[in-house]
Amino acid sequence: MSDSNQTAVTKAKQNFASGIKPIWCPGCGDFGVHAGIVKALQEIGVEKEKVAIVSGIGCSSSMPHPFSTYGVHSLHGRLLPVASGMKLANDDLTVIGTGGDGDGYGIGVGHLIHTARRNIDITYIVMNNEIYGLTTGQTSPTSLMGAKTKSTPFGSIENPENPVGIAISAGATYVARAFSGDPMHMATLIKNGILHKGFSIIDVFSPCVTFNNLNTYDWFRSRVYKLDQAGHDPSDKAKAMEKSFEAEANNWEKIPIGLFYKEEKPTYSSMDMTLQKGALINQPMPTKQQLGEIMEEYK
Amino acid sequence: MNSVSIRIAGANGDGVESSGSLMIRVAAKNGLHVFGYRGYQSIIRGGHVWYQVRIADERLNSHGEGIDILIALNQDAIKNQKSHLNDKAVVIFDPSKVKPEGIDASKYRLVGVPLLDIAIEVSGDPIMRNVVAIGSALKFVGIDLNAFNEVIKATFGRKGDKVVQSNIKAAEKGYNYNGVETVYKIKSDGKERYTMDGNTALSIGAYAAGCKFYSAYPMTPASSILHWFAAHENKGVMPKQTEDEIAAINMAIGASAAGVRSMCGTSGGGFSLMVEALGLAGILETPLVVVESQRTGPSTGLPTKTEQADLLFVMHASQGEFPRIVVAPRSTEESFDIAAEAFNLADRYQCPVIILMDLYLSEHVRSMERLNVEGVTIDRGKVVTEQKEEGRFKRYLITDDGVSPRAFPGTKGLEFIAPSDEHNEYGDLVSDAFAGLDESVEVRIQMNAKRMRKIDTMLERESVFVPHVDIEGEQYLVTFGSTTQPAIEAVELLKAKGHNFGLISFNYLMPLDAEKTAKILQGKKLINVEGNSTGQLAKVIRMATGINIERSILKSDGEAFTGELIANEAMRLIK
Repeated sequence: MSDSNQTAVTKAKQNFASGIKPIWCPGCGDFGVHAGIVKALQEIGVEKEKVAIVSGIGCSSSMPHPFSTYGVHSLHGRLLPVASGMKLANDDLTVIGTGGDGDGYGIGVGHLIHTARRNIDITYIVMNNEIYGLTTGQTSPTSLMGAKTKSTPFGSIENPENPVGIAISAGATYVARAFSGDPMHMATLIKNGILHKGFSIIDVFSPCVTFNNLNTYDWFRSRVYKLDQAGHDPSDKAKAMEKSFEAEANNWEKIPIGLFYKEEKPTYSSMDMTLQKGALINQPMPTKQQLGEIMEEYK
Repeated sequence: MNSVSIRIAGANGDGVESSGSLMIRVAAKNGLHVFGYRGYQSIIRGGHVWYQVRIADERLNSHGEGIDILIALNQDAIKNQKSHLNDKAVVIFDPSKVKPEGIDASKYRLVGVPLLDIAIEVSGDPIMRNVVAIGSALKFVGIDLNAFNEVIKATFGRKGDKVVQSNIKAAEKGYNYNGVETVYKIKSDGKERYTMDGNTALSIGAYAAGCKFYSAYPMTPASSILHWFAAHENKGVMPKQTEDEIAAINMAIGASAAGVRSMCGTSGGGFSLMVEALGLAGILETPLVVVESQRTGPSTGLPTKTEQADLLFVMHASQGEFPRIVVAPRSTEESFDIAAEAFNLADRYQCPVIILMDLYLSEHVRSMERLNVEGVTIDRGKVVTEQKEEGRFKRYLITDDGVSPRAFPGTKGLEFIAPSDEHNEYGDLVSDAFAGLDESVEVRIQMNAKRMRKIDTMLERESVFVPHVDIEGEQYLVTFGSTTQPAIEAVELLKAKGHNFGLISFNYLMPLDAEKTAKILQGKKLINVEGNSTGQLAKVIRMATGINIERSILKSDGEAFTGELIANEAMRLIK
């Protein structure tokens, strides 16, 4: 991934900035996530043309635009299949998915499960603000029970989703949770997620300062604690699952963040018959001999 | 033309399909023309299935209406197939299992062969009874067993000599059984031919064009394309079975955006799920080939039966307006040609190309000359590999022909974000915070016009967007896609009866060169022949040209057209 010939000077010059300003409200948690991704990419030292940032639809899905990398701003909930397609086509790319909780845990949650179990080597960063922001404040799959929103004015009566637990049980090999209000910690988790070989997901609490007046910076700050400081062993899958239920079980009084689970497992590309021979885009065109052989199958 | 139709009928699990395939290969190897089509159901065991193998001394264009030789593997086969028997048809059956009830022995030739006993005798395996029956059928059509033996060796050689020999022995016993004799003699030209179905031809076309990524969710009748790519994974392609059709098309878009020629495929139900992403490919201007093999709808409909009722759907699917190409191959061979060319068109115009197949075309097997796999040319369109101008790369550069330069991720200096929102030349959004600002309105007008201009460019540069006058006549059958083949046979039958019909057929249906199409159709007496109940092709023609076709032959019962059926309907219309 990092080029050994590249000097530290040129690395420092890469700011990954396109000059496009994000559309987020002042104070939005997504600014921190943007900074975290930039920091992670700079520390890894990957060239910008080798990076593809793929998003869905929602406030957080405008993430690719401030970047001077490649990227696709795709459909609502569909960033994982698009990102998977790009990675399968060109294994040399560093592919990062960015989206929100409605996008990834609502309309697109099916893809999360299947992308995780395929262990495709992409990094998925979900800016989880527990509300639909761009559509001006409806309940989301991670909204807490009782949350009052425009679509649940009398309080939500649906249980919130457990994305960390879903990702672990689906087979994701790097599952972390971060808080946008702790940018250094988050940037490290993102960086390690990108460096991890396999499907990595970082669920980031990224407060919506406009439509969610329950799950605010202060609300999170007073509740989160770091798993690595609490002696959690991220190689213990059963323990990781248990930890994923902890916050809801204690009525959101204490919320663990950090690396829940990490496992080294063969990636999809490393097992695929065709990709073992190199990136798909570099595979040669069929030869006349191959074409002739195929025709003979039908004689 | 001399032709004879053999139909083997029984239950799912009886080996009806493999028997049909075997007879097709034997006939093609023996220098005959052959056309096979099967009737089956969406169950794995039981039910009633049949495979019709029509053999002729000239190129065939339909599986034919009636049966000349029926191999009845069970009582249901007698019950369900007796009404399809041609005059003097041969009925081969095992008297220990099947009674030829309701079949008049003075009008038809009833041939009892102890299929099961012979099978047990030569191999101990009851499934070998089909091979005994095939042996008898081959004798009736005058094909000697040399070609059969060759095909058996090629097919079962890997399984060892014992399997090969018991097949050969079983066929010999059926061939030489008392009372079995040659009554239909079809002349062979001694030229060995290839056999395949439309999905195979399409897959080979895509492969030859350098398609390396095929994503799909299993759905009849498109699944065999996925199976083809899976079976050829060792030849440098990636088949990807996805969790649903939404993932299938979005993955193909991702792979294509990364620079790999990509295709996804499904039937109407799955295409319904792909509709949103079709528009994504439209606005991203990402080349994409989508196969939609139609089956009888609406909804689950008749999953194992054919129809041509999705034409208007695929032409108009997805919100907003964007250029797309819709093309319906008219034959198995054309499925190959069009699949190969679809990737060039998709790359040249950076838009989705929908190949509209149907169950009949996807699944019927025909004999054919060798496909020109080495002759496929590749044009990737406006792909750029280096930045020539200062500043950021304009991926969506406003151009006269509507086509902008395209770069693949990994190319230094040409980085851009491809967005599903409306955008400027760089790919920066003019939606959200910028929507409605004077400058954004202007960008929207320019960008939309740029995309839509690609349609004019296509019509100007490509010659394909017009119908074909295949056969001249005083009046014309008008078809699109797979119905063209049986219509060719219908025209031949009609001409033989003194009715001077011709044929006009469409393959490329969108965009349509309205002016040229009108010129071709103007002043002609037309009858549209379509596998749907509302005359969708006639509507397309009327939309494009204002020409109203007043007579039509429409069929939406799930069964495929045959030449005889179309000819009979045409004669009824001109009475």
